[in-house]
Amino acid sequence: MHKVESLQDGRMEVGMNKTSKRNRRIINCVLSVLAAIWFLPVVFAVLNMFKGQVEYNMGSFWALPEGNEFMANVSYIRDNARIFQGMLSSLLYSSCGAVFAVILGTTAAYAIAHLKIRHRMFWFMVIYSGTIFPFQIYLIPIFSGYAKLGLYDTRLGMILFYTAICIPFVMFVLRNFFTGISREICESAKLDGAGDFQILTRIFVPMARAPISVVLLSQFTFCWNDLMFGLTFTKSKEIKPVMASLSLMNTGHAPAMLTACLAASLPTILFFIFLNKNFEAGFAYTGK
Amino acid sequence: MSKSFSFKKYKDYLYIAPAVIFITVFFISSIVYALRLSFFEWDGFSEMKFVGLENYLRLFRDKNFLTSVMNTIIWVASSLVLSLAMPLLFAILITKSSWSGGFKNIFYFPSALSGTVGGLLMTSILSIYGLPKIVGMMGFPELVRDWLAIPYVNTFVMIVSGVWQGLGLNMLLFISGLNSIDSSPIEAAQIEGAKTFQMYTRVVFPLMKNTIVVVLLMSLVNSFKTFDNIWIMTKGGPYRTSETLALTMYEESFIRNDFGRGAAVAIVLTVVVVFVSYFNIRNSFKED
Repeated sequence: MHKVESLQDGRMEVGMNKTSKRNRRIINCVLSVLAAIWFLPVVFAVLNMFKGQVEYNMGSFWALPEGNEFMANVSYIRDNARIFQGMLSSLLYSSCGAVFAVILGTTAAYAIAHLKIRHRMFWFMVIYSGTIFPFQIYLIPIFSGYAKLGLYDTRLGMILFYTAICIPFVMFVLRNFFTGISREICESAKLDGAGDFQILTRIFVPMARAPISVVLLSQFTFCWNDLMFGLTFTKSKEIKPVMASLSLMNTGHAPAMLTACLAASLPTILFFIFLNKNFEAGFAYTGK
Repeated sequence: MSKSFSFKKYKDYLYIAPAVIFITVFFISSIVYALRLSFFEWDGFSEMKFVGLENYLRLFRDKNFLTSVMNTIIWVASSLVLSLAMPLLFAILITKSSWSGGFKNIFYFPSALSGTVGGLLMTSILSIYGLPKIVGMMGFPELVRDWLAIPYVNTFVMIVSGVWQGLGLNMLLFISGLNSIDSSPIEAAQIEGAKTFQMYTRVVFPLMKNTIVVVLLMSLVNSFKTFDNIWIMTKGGPYRTSETLALTMYEESFIRNDFGRGAAVAIVLTVVVVFVSYFNIRNSFKED
């Protein structure tokens, strides 16, 4: 992967122009300044996590912290803002939502790509339609439906919803992958006596390990980062997912709020670091 | 015999059934329900009252709604410039720098955070303790105020600060677009003595047309749906001056309990987004 990239870079160099040494140095300088600006908000967010509420409100945003109030801020977000509880809830919703959606989306993709069903384009469009409409239109109907069925402000309601919203994208990515698998493999497996379900679990799923893990991570991240649905479909602190709890925090206590931001970003930062090498392949899929 | 035959015939449909049921129950029925609700007056508790087109007619006489339409147009128009020109410029500079991997990571990092976290970080940077204070010390004391609380100006403040988080994904797509173009036309242009600027406008950009169109349509659709950032930074305020359609829909239904009106806003937003998405989908299925 890395080798290919550097090779391509090399080709670009020869091709584009002989980016002279001087030009390259100017570009490096400009980018370094921009990179510093880009990273500055993160640096100051981290610095301010070590300040107390009073110290921050005295106006020392740009100053170095005087003491270390980090642990006090951590216990504030644990006890007052219930951020850790929100993280546990989000962990449950996001993992269940992503896993169920991958299971249902994979079987649907397999049927649309390889089984003998009629009007496959129609079924594809039915499932894919879940991504076309702006998500805002689902808020009122699902909110009032949930209120009637007793699913409003419940864990089950959140899991069911996140499963539903992730299915179309999973189906879309895996259908593209499955249509690329040749029919001959299925035919020979059938001759050996494998059923459709066995072909799916023994041949297709192992072959699709890479795209499945990519959609699993991207859909987990999508659910974890969701604010709008969590805010609308829940009310109590025990059920609220992390981003909704974060958005309802007392903005008067900025250092605690920034500490909560760090806590709420932990999983996504971890994915960023782990996937760094091939995140281009992985995270390009995250855009919904 | 005939029974098992018919079971066999429908067995393949069992693979798509769960996904189709989820999508139908959650999303397709929601769209029908929202459309119906937009012709009713409903506060969420009492009897629904049929009012015909009254919700829509009232919207277009409402000053808040017209402000919201205007703001949405501003968001969409500026996202066209900011989400195309800036990421493209960054991508070009990065491919020509000597530390492309590192720069790529730094500029992409904010995109790995959630919209909620990004919004909160920007809110604290833009509060009177942050950037305005520095600008004030540089000799502009009249600028020391909460920039997000200035009506009509705050929309532009949010759009510009949104670049911090919004640049990453498009930049990655442009970098991989730049790396995958064929170098021979570029070499040919170079031999003919093309200048750097001409080289990009005449040779490189036309070769990247596909990537540019995908990024353009994707950002266009997404800019209509922006919710998290605005909700976190201003909640649409002060005095509902920074609302976009997505916010107005939420405000009317869940803050003011006017569900019929909220549904009408959602339908207007949906019609616009589906119109734009049509080109997006047609473009992405062209290869099939």
